[in-house]
This record gives sequence, C-alpha cells and structure tokens, in this order.
Amino acid sequence: MSNLNIDAAKGNTYDVIVIGSGISGGWAAKEFTEKGFKTLVLERGRDVQHIKDYPTTNKFPYEFEHRGEPALAIKKENPIVSRCYAFKEDAMHFMVKDKEHPYVQEKPFDWIRGYQVGGKSLLWARQTQRWSDFDFEGPARDDFAVDWPIRYKDIAPWYSYVEKFAGISGNRDGLSELPDGEFLPGFPLNAAEDYFKDFIKNKYNNRHVISARCAHLSKPNQIHLDQGRAKCQNRTLCQRGCPFGGYFSSNASTLPWAAKTGKLTLKPDSVVESVIYDDAKGKVTGVRVVDANTKESTEYYARIVFVNAGALNTNLILLNSKSKRFPQGLGNDSGVLGKYVAFHNYSARITAEFDGLKQFATDGRNPAGGGYIPRFRNVYKQETNFKRGYAAGLYGSRYMERDRSAIGGKLKDNLLQGKLSPWIMGSHMMGETIPKESNFVNLSASEKDAWGIPLLNISVAYDENDALMKKDYIEQMTEMFTEAGFKNITPNISSQAPGLDIHEMGGARMGRDPKTSILNEWNQLHTCANVFVTDGACMTSTSTQNPSLTYMAFTARSVDFAVKAMNRGEI
Amino acid sequence: MIKQVLIMAGGLALLPSCLRDEGKSSIRLTNLEVSLDEENLLAEIAETIIPRTKTPGARELKLHLFILKMLDDCYEKTDQQAFINGLQEFKELTSEQYGKSFGKLSAHQRESTLSKLENNPSPDLSAFYKITKAKTIDGYLNSQYVMTKLIIYELVPGRYNGYFPVKTA
Repeated sequence: MSNLNIDAAKGNTYDVIVIGSGISGGWAAKEFTEKGFKTLVLERGRDVQHIKDYPTTNKFPYEFEHRGEPALAIKKENPIVSRCYAFKEDAMHFMVKDKEHPYVQEKPFDWIRGYQVGGKSLLWARQTQRWSDFDFEGPARDDFAVDWPIRYKDIAPWYSYVEKFAGISGNRDGLSELPDGEFLPGFPLNAAEDYFKDFIKNKYNNRHVISARCAHLSKPNQIHLDQGRAKCQNRTLCQRGCPFGGYFSSNASTLPWAAKTGKLTLKPDSVVESVIYDDAKGKVTGVRVVDANTKESTEYYARIVFVNAGALNTNLILLNSKSKRFPQGLGNDSGVLGKYVAFHNYSARITAEFDGLKQFATDGRNPAGGGYIPRFRNVYKQETNFKRGYAAGLYGSRYMERDRSAIGGKLKDNLLQGKLSPWIMGSHMMGETIPKESNFVNLSASEKDAWGIPLLNISVAYDENDALMKKDYIEQMTEMFTEAGFKNITPNISSQAPGLDIHEMGGARMGRDPKTSILNEWNQLHTCANVFVTDGACMTSTSTQNPSLTYMAFTARSVDFAVKAMNRGEI
Repeated sequence: MIKQVLIMAGGLALLPSCLRDEGKSSIRLTNLEVSLDEENLLAEIAETIIPRTKTPGARELKLHLFILKMLDDCYEKTDQQAFINGLQEFKELTSEQYGKSFGKLSAHQRESTLSKLENNPSPDLSAFYKITKAKTIDGYLNSQYVMTKLIIYELVPGRYNGYFPVKTA
C-alpha cells in the first residue's frame, strides 16, 4: 500500500507546476520546458487546441444563427458576461457563463473570464505597450500604494525578450513615456487619424497619436514561422481564434512551443483547490487539484509552483491555501493578500464627425484598431486636481450609410448603392486607478462552488479620483476634437461597473517590504521562496498601459531568476 | 443527411417544424404561434419591401423565415405579442380596405398599403411593421446572396490601406 502511494506520488511529481495556461502561464510553461524542466500546466477549463478547436473561425456572418447576436434567453441568463463587447455568437463559447462560476459581488463587479486552455489570451484585445519609469515611479512620487521594487531598467531586457518571440507590431516613436520595443512594422494610421496626429502634435508639445502597438505578425520573422504562425491577414476576427496564428495567444505560440520540448504535461479540467504548504519542510510541495468533471481530488508535487490563474483567481487560490504556518492564506503574514486591487477606468468614450479628407476612405481592415494616445496628464509633474492620468484610443472610420426609408425597388437600390459617411472619429479612455485597501477580494465565509472551493467575494469600486479623471478626459478630448475642427462631438459616459475593462490587477502586490506587500522584486513570495506569481495579481499599481505584455516580461524574468536560484540550490 | 431537411434562410440553416403538423409555420419556433398562412403573408410583405428585380427578392432569400427566427429568439415577450397583434390588425386592415387579402392585391396596392404604415399606425401595427421591415433589411444585407454576389464580404482581406482613394461627390 505504502509502495503504491510512493509510486503514485512519483507519477504525480514534476520539476515545476504552473497554475493556469493563459497569457502568463503559457510563458512560464515555455520558459521552464525550454530550460529542460519537466513542467505540469494545470488548466481549470477544457482543452482548446490551436485551429482545431476554433469552431467559428471561418464562418461568414450569415452562418451564425442570429447573425452574431446572442439569443435573448442567453442574455437574460448571463447578465454579467453579456455586458462584455466580445460576447457574441462567434466567441461566446470561450467565455464563462454567469451560472457556471458564480462569485459574490459585495459591490457591482463584472468579472469576465475565459476558462479554457489559453484562457483569455484567445480573446484579448492584443494591445501591447511597455511601461516606463514614469509608471514604475508613480506610487513613490504620488504617494499611493507602495513603491515598486523594480524600475524600467530591470524589466527592459525582458520586454525585448518576449516581444521578439510574441511578435509585436509598432513604430519607433521615440517617446520617453512609452518606450520603444523590438517591433515588427507598425500598422499605419489612416488619413483622418494622421490628420489628428499632426494637428495635436503642432498644437500641444506633449500629446501624441501613435499607431497602436499590438501583438500581430505584420511581417513575421523566422522565430514566428518556427512556431507555425503566419502573417496577420487583417481579418479582425481574432476573438474566434486565428487559423493563421496571426496574433499572439498561448494556444498558437507558447503552449505548442513548450509541447515540442517533450517536457510539458498539460492537464485541462484541473481545478486547483490550493497550494500545499509543508510546515515541516517550510516550503510548498505541490498543489491539490479537483477534477472539473469527476470532482475527484488529486495531489501533484513539484519543487516550484508558479501561480498564473488570472489576477483574482490567483488571489483566491493563495487565500484558500491555508496551513499552520499561513492560517490567513499562503504568504499572507501581512494581511495584505487580496487587498489593493485596482483596474482600468474605461468608463468614457467620445465620438465626433470630421468633414475633411473625403477623397480617402479605408480598404481592408486594421488589426491594431487605429491610434493610441499615450498618457499626457501629470507625466512630468502633477498638474491637475486628480492623481495620475489616462491613455486613450483614437480611431477614424467611414462606413457605408444605407438609406432604409423607402420600400420596393427604390429601397433595394438605396441599400445596394450606399453612400460613404464622413469620417467618424472615436476615442475611449484607459485610466489608471489607485489601489486602495478598501478595494479587495476575500473568500466567502458561507458559499462554495461545485468543487468545494469558497466563492470569491469581490468588493471593488470607483472613487472620486476616477470621477475627476473621467471629467478631464471628456474635457480634453472635447477641446482637442473642437480645435481639430470636428463636429457633432458626443461624449458617452458609461456607468459600467469595474471589471468590464478586464484589466483587474493586484491583491498580491510586489514591494520591498514583507509587511506591506506579498511578492518581492522577483515575483517570489516574500515568505515562501518556491512560489511565484507573475500574472495580474502581482501588480503594485496599474498605470494606463494594457497589462499583458508586462505580465509576459515579468514571467520570463521570474523564471530566469527561479532557475538560477534552483541551480544555486537556494530553492 | 440532416442537411437535406434543413431550411436555408438567407444562407442560414433552420430546423423545419414537424412535417405532419399542417397549417403551422414551416420552421420550428419556440415562443411564437404563427400559422402557415401568416408565414406566407409575411413572405408577401417582405417581398413587397425587397422585391425581386434583376436580383432575388425577399421571398427567394426566405427572409420571412429570418424575421420569424429573430423575433422568436431575440425579442422580448412584449415585442413578440405586439408583433402578433399587429399582424392580426394588418390582416383586418387590408380586407377592410380592399375586400381581399394582401396576397391578392396588385403590386401597386401592396406598396401603397405598406407606405401608409410608415406613418403612425396603431402601436401594435407600428411594432409589427417596424420589426418586419428592419429584419427584412438586416436579413437581406446579411444574406449569403448579397454578401457573396452584391456587397462582397471578405473573410480574409489580407490588406489595409488607410488612404484608399474614393470619389468625393
């Protein structure tokens, strides 16, 4: 009997366990397997294999039952996920339905999730900007959260490292607030976007419109072809999964790359209940998993555990990993775990009409989506009545207006002819929010999910700073659009709850002091050396950049550190 | 095998209703009660909105079935009820006005009947007509025929030009 147990343990033992197969888990898998480590990746959702499991990817609009619109019964059953822009017939099979995975909303929070191999890397908006020291130095300069334990120079080489492999398109814009990277050619701005870019460059010395930088293969290098990926074909149907591997996802890139090493074991349908801390050994020995279908419990063992379950689920797992040494959750001596959660403020947009440049329209589609305005508020010094600032999207398009007023042959002619609209300009804000102790997640004391794991209780809200920033965004964009000669300027202020930005971050933040943070400068738990967190949970502050690229860089950097520490016998 | 019994509406495959169930609409509906006669009337109305010219019209593209499918699955109960009430009113209206059913009217009479509905009929009649017209147009523009023959939808453009020259007039 005891021999059987030893054999079972042996069969369940790996060098490394990675919890989660999304954008950061995929990177951990790639890095560890490439370095020769036997790696187990645990994914709570079903398997999704590149191309083979993209059932809608080549469908035409008329092949969807309701032309893309989810049926009313589905919307009513899923009020939360229905609010997400991507919840359409072509991609809803990649998104968690409300009832499947409930959580407690102490305050309204739209938690948008993708439980499958690849996670949300299948669905992300693929925008990739580096942080700069204006971001890393933010908390220290503006007196909030805690100081980041790293600076730009620490992560810059790792940005380069992940960019080369993932394939990031962009231009070398030479802006100190948004450092350049290892770019494939950028997707160009269109006539109207270029007009606005030139206009605000002349009018304001610190405001810029650049081509949005994104994880698309505008011109693949050998390393991308070696992954089995091809040039982006401008379909902009990315949320369905791309048969060309034109954009970066775990499914198209890191996971198959890791599998090729022969060192990867990927187990879908494996819900991690907790990380196992051995009080006698003074370290983590593995993880406890519940089978998503059979509910059977299994333990897996490893020297190192990377927790990449997605920001809030990483918090949940750590909080639920209780031991004699860590009665409040793994690594949580400080009581900080689950607190200082923040997100991005996406609650305002604005549109306008531009009557000029009617000799141009667009042809084909731009996967980058258009332009990006890096943060220009409070960059060099505090200059407004709110902390920090916002980046913004900027895009122009002309659509075919089709007159629907007549009936009969005339209507048919009108519909088929169409008439190009003027340029419609649009923008949306991406505001930094300030992490606060009062924005937190914790475990429900009474409610559990179908796998016996406590539900996550989420208590996260906007504050006065967010409201002031939103007002400023509308004022500044209105001013810029007005000065640029745009008409019919229409602000659109949304009352959406936090979460819909799908940029929730923090809870297990990095910092220098174990009393006020969970992770050190290597994304390693201060108080448990063989556990690392490199997903959104690690974020000390949010800045304004789309965060995925930074998670990738943190992951590669952290694996490098962990491997060196293992080789030195420290872990 | 199964494909052969599906009904293609604007390029979309729909499940037929039970074939022996005579007098019922030809496609399977969950929430709506629509008779075959009413379905045919809807086809006449849709064909009047988008008639066959040199290219197919609504009837040939089975857009009336698309209307029913969308109404059945994507509309609130109150809208569905208003539509059904409006449909009854519409039947009465044409028989009162012309002493015969819509299907027996001349093309000109049909167009003029619908044109009158553009301006403030009763709430139910208005709901019926608005939904019918909007979904006929949506179904038409998104139909396989239009997307492959008239306004070509490109699944794989493979290009982007932000300075595509067009006529300004």
